[in-house]
Formats: sequence, C-alpha cells, structure tokens
Amino acid sequence: MAQQRALPQSKETLLQSYNKRLKDDVKSVMDNFTEIIKSAKIEDETQVSRATQGEQDNYEMHVRAANIVRAGESLMKLVSDLKQFLILNDFPSVNEAIDQRNQQLRALQEECDRKLIALRDEVSIDLYELEEEYYSSRYR
Amino acid sequence: MATYSLANERLRALEDIEREIGAILQNAGTVILELSKEKTNERLLDRQAAAFTASVQHVEAELSGQIRYLTQVATGQPHEGSSYSSRKDCQMALKRVDYARLKLSDVARTCEQMLEN
Repeated sequence: MAQQRALPQSKETLLQSYNKRLKDDVKSVMDNFTEIIKSAKIEDETQVSRATQGEQDNYEMHVRAANIVRAGESLMKLVSDLKQFLILNDFPSVNEAIDQRNQQLRALQEECDRKLIALRDEVSIDLYELEEEYYSSRYR
Repeated sequence: MATYSLANERLRALEDIEREIGAILQNAGTVILELSKEKTNERLLDRQAAAFTASVQHVEAELSGQIRYLTQVATGQPHEGSSYSSRKDCQMALKRVDYARLKLSDVARTCEQMLEN
C-alpha cells in the first residue's frame, strides 16, 4: 500500500474526530447498558427506604436509556457524515464512476451516429428514386 | 448494474451499519424488557444480550475500517473530474437524431400532400 499522504490539517482533524465520536458513542452504549443491568439487581440492604431506592433506580434507568438512545442517534449521524465524506473524497470510486459514465455516454453517441449513417444510406436510395420521379413529372 | 459498484459497495455497507445500529437499540430494549418480567426467559435473554454485544463490536469494527480507508484515500483536494464533455457529445448526437427525424417527417408530409393532389 502506498505511503500515507500528508493530509491537510482540517481533513486529518476531521477523521480523528470521527474516530473519537465512534469510540465515545460505543463506550456510552456499552457502559449505560451495563449499568442498567447492574441496577436491576435487587439488594436486601439499602441505605434509604425501598420506595426511595426504587424511585432512584427508576430515574437512573430512564436517564441511562436516554443516553443509549442519544449515543445511537449520534452513531447514525456519524454514519451519515461518513457517507458524505466518502462521496466527496473517495477518489478511486469517483474516478471509476466518471469513467463508467463516460463509457456509457460514448457508447450511446456511437450508436446514434451509427444508426444515423445507416439511415442516411437507406434514405439516399429512396431520395434518388424520388428525384427521378419528380424530375420526370410535370411538376418540376 | 455494475456502473457504480465500487462506490455503492461502501455506501451499501454503511447503510447496513445504520440498520445494525437500529437492531442494537432493539436488542437492548428487548433485554431490559425481558429482565423486567417476573418470570424471565433466560435463553432469550442470553441470546439477545449476546446479539447486542456482537452487533456493537461489529459496528465499531466496520466503522473503524471505513475511517481507516478514508484516512488512506482522502487527499484533501476537491475532485475536478467530470463527465461533461461526453455528456455534451451525447446530447449533440441526440439532437442530430431529432433533426433527422424532423426532416424525414417533412419529406413524408410532402409526399403525402403530393399524393392527395
């Protein structure tokens, strides 16, 4: 594989930020999920009354669930940003797409011209007969 | 159609990752719902939890791979290629066809008029 080119600072920073977002979001999902499972454990001895502990656990689970959803949405946004970056900066695939498009258009153009030339040959035969008919008629 | 296969492969992979992220949240919700029941189905619980963990790891690995690929491939310069010239040539060819069709219809109309007269 070719040596890594020196990216402009902005692009390198952007890609590093993508990595960071990925790590943070995945960590957030895993940690919050693990904590929800842990807090589902029923303990015999609690520092506060059972009702209070239940309320606290309820609130904590709500917050952690919201965090998981937020991290999931952040991952979706990251995927969207990656798609955009890919479309704009993945030169090998952009080059291939342009080449394919050029080939398609050139093939269509050649087919049109080929058919026009065949049409010209056919029409010239008919026109020859039409001219003969016209110039030997009383309307010329 | 193999036209945009290379670009589409990566974009399709990213779309699969999006679906998998949705599945991750779904699995997490199923596990917590199952835990909230009085009588939990342990097998379902284990299966969903394993699926959750595997999906999270898979998503992380895939996205890291995509970012690594972009780090290798991106140059920071805008792409200046275009298919404009071949598009213009093709457009001119289609205009020639239209013109030929127009002239042929004129000739056909003239011949019919002469025949009627």
